[in-house]
Amino acid sequence: MARKPKKQKSGTKITVKELKRQKFLLIWAGIFVVYGIIFYYLPLGGWIMAFQNYKPKDGFWHSQFVGLAKFQTLFSDSTFIRVIRNTLAMGVLNLVSTFVMAILFAILLNEIRSKWGKKIVQTISYLPHFLSWIIVTGILHDALSTSGIVNEVLLKLHIIENSINFFAYPAYFWPIVAFANVWKETGWNAIVYLAAITAIDPCLYEAAAIDGAGRWGKIKYITLPGIRPTIMILLLMNIGNVLNAGFEVQYLLTNGLVQKVSQTIDIYVLNWGISQMDYSLGTAAGMFKSVVSIILIVAANTIAKKTGDERLF
Amino acid sequence: MSQKKISRKEFLRGSAASAAGMMVAGTFGGMMGQFTTLTALADDETVEFSAFFAMSGSEINSDNEIAAMIAEQTGAKCDETWLTGQTDSEAIGTIIAGGEYPDFINGGDSMVSLYEAGALVAWDDYLEQYPNLKEMYSDEEWDKFRQDDGKIYWANVFQNSYGEDKTTTHNDEAFWIQAKVLEWAGYPEIKTLDQYFDLIESYVAENPTMDDGTAYIPYTILCYDWYYYCLENAPQFLDGYPNDGSVIVDTDTLTIVDYNTTDTAVRYFRKLNEEHNKGMIDPEFATQTTDEYTAKLSTGRVLGMCDQWWNFAYTVNDVFTQTGLADEGCNYVPLGLTIDEGMENQWHSYGDTLNNSSGIAVTTSCKNVDAAFQFMNDLLDQDIHNLRFWGVEGVDYLVDDDGMFYRTDEMRANWSDSEYQASHICNYSYFPQWLGTSRDGINAMQPSQQSSEFFNDLAEPLVACFEAYGAGNYVDMLGSAKVETGPWYPMYSYSNAMTTATAGGVAWNKMGEVKHEWLPKVVMAEDFDSLWEQYMEAYEGTNPQDFLDEMQEELDRRIAAAEG
Repeated sequence: MARKPKKQKSGTKITVKELKRQKFLLIWAGIFVVYGIIFYYLPLGGWIMAFQNYKPKDGFWHSQFVGLAKFQTLFSDSTFIRVIRNTLAMGVLNLVSTFVMAILFAILLNEIRSKWGKKIVQTISYLPHFLSWIIVTGILHDALSTSGIVNEVLLKLHIIENSINFFAYPAYFWPIVAFANVWKETGWNAIVYLAAITAIDPCLYEAAAIDGAGRWGKIKYITLPGIRPTIMILLLMNIGNVLNAGFEVQYLLTNGLVQKVSQTIDIYVLNWGISQMDYSLGTAAGMFKSVVSIILIVAANTIAKKTGDERLF
Repeated sequence: MSQKKISRKEFLRGSAASAAGMMVAGTFGGMMGQFTTLTALADDETVEFSAFFAMSGSEINSDNEIAAMIAEQTGAKCDETWLTGQTDSEAIGTIIAGGEYPDFINGGDSMVSLYEAGALVAWDDYLEQYPNLKEMYSDEEWDKFRQDDGKIYWANVFQNSYGEDKTTTHNDEAFWIQAKVLEWAGYPEIKTLDQYFDLIESYVAENPTMDDGTAYIPYTILCYDWYYYCLENAPQFLDGYPNDGSVIVDTDTLTIVDYNTTDTAVRYFRKLNEEHNKGMIDPEFATQTTDEYTAKLSTGRVLGMCDQWWNFAYTVNDVFTQTGLADEGCNYVPLGLTIDEGMENQWHSYGDTLNNSSGIAVTTSCKNVDAAFQFMNDLLDQDIHNLRFWGVEGVDYLVDDDGMFYRTDEMRANWSDSEYQASHICNYSYFPQWLGTSRDGINAMQPSQQSSEFFNDLAEPLVACFEAYGAGNYVDMLGSAKVETGPWYPMYSYSNAMTTATAGGVAWNKMGEVKHEWLPKVVMAEDFDSLWEQYMEAYEGTNPQDFLDEMQEELDRRIAAAEG
């Protein structure tokens, strides 16, 4: 991860000689451009479906063109509006919680003196990242069931009198999803910050110590400012991802009682685009999601630029 | 997606409770292009087909012994793939989007989508050449499979009897109760919903826990995804109607009645609500997955539930046998409940049920269509049929002097062993097949219907229970009226195939969504009446009349076609 995108002042002029000199680079670059066009840009042609009443039998060429009708259906569907709300809410909740936790965890880990202990904690903490969601949701389902460990502990501590069926209450659903994300990703996300912290010049800490800074002082004045560029870049990238609030977790944890708060845009696309075979509606919803994501990331980048911070582009 | 699949027999043995229902659903991208539609000749000249079935099932080993024997005799074999994790419509939607099909396909409730995508080969030109296939249905029955272009594209393979009907098991829906509860109460007559719950309550009052101290779950309800029929469609049966699945057909006026809003529905859900507030209903019912439900049943903790036999029995009964719970009387027996006393019930429909909404189809990707039809035709040959369902003579079954097939205990144990199933048994379970009487005139087409086999397989407490009620088998326990179902039956074959292309289909979809949310809420309500009112308000908001109108149209059409 480039911590500081170098501003290149390239003075080289494009001449035939220069082109010849760099021909291997050009060939390599060409291959990747072609690859990009084929695999990233050509498939976007499928977006035409969103403006058609697409039928697999008729294909792209013979399906009826309906203009913006599919988008109209989409935005007059109260379910879709609710789905956007759910996606945004869970996206923001996940972003904030995983983000804050990862930074906190990295800083805490950095304060551990014993190298051995640090390694063990770090290794264990990022292992959940390698579990698939199906396993994580299975564990959650067991742990939060009425006879699961969470209820057991709460009962033994006399915090509650009767077991709570956590999955039956819409109010708990978003926090459960956020918690699952935090549990799964904190250790993994912290790795980047730990690396950034390691790159901070030890002299700065020594100087701070001489100036009388304690642990708090060092964290506040050296560590945090030191990893600030990393934080900003990751934040920007994650903001573009807010609408990718998840699919598997919600899909696997949902039930009839909480379906109103659990459905995300991706699930909506699956339900309508694939299950109900309305590929056009599904494409329209997917397109909407992509466009909003692009707007979000550009907006965040612009704000970062204005405040003079690190930015993506 | 609600009453889907209720009539479907699922041969889930072994894999039933498999993680299938829970496996990552996000893999639909990976489905595309996975079928190699190889009708190409292999080295030994065996034609190899591929098949996809949009339901869960267990895959067999590639060197499966019976599959090899069938290949030897027919010159063809088929590599079967089953649904994992997704719903049938998700899987089929993905396959259609990919545009590549296996040679054979059964798309569950999405058959019409496959037809509309132009993915299926019409049977009309082939049917006459393949007598075994043709024999499956009468001309009138075949007509029911015709699509709007007048052609036949698939055939349902289930609930189709050759010769005399040999049914012993009630394969469908009922309120079930553990045999030991009936025994404890001295085998009383249980006719109504109230009596049923009274029995459960009094049993739990006296026996709150199992022998090992685990508390009983008096009654549980599965309402995960499309399995919520366990909660929602009982009102049609309680009113004495057969399983039309999505609606009631009033046989006097020949009109469609919505069973969601009948007085019986209100009484049924009020009863469930009462029982819930008394602590008789599993507090986790609304959030359990199908796997969790099956696991719960397998422990013997659950005294009763409403479900389809095929959804629990294959797995749960095997576990009961292996753990000895069967000898303690944990096996479930069905009760033919109605809402009031003195009513006739139709929980069991005698005779065959023709579900024309799904079945086996040959796709346009199949390179050797003739061979594909030949293969299906061969599978119905009596010798091959015996191989599929009875196994190898001398190994899997024996023949006595009268020509009756029978099995030893060891053979039966083998047959229910999952390893043996994978290495030796090859049912081709979603390919054309028969129930009823074998062409030899004495045996049953499938062992589960052979009455000697049926009784040999039965645990002691079940035999005692059947005897006490004077019942010869599960079907007799229900005491369903022997009523001939109308020519429209079953109506679910129409609603299953509805898509959101019509107003009725949209309403049907939304009704399902509302019911999924509200029915559990209503059952768990502290104030039943106010929640029922709110539920009805949400329900009316989905325009159920659009759906009912389309059902009425189809009912009229079917009646006219039958008179035609």
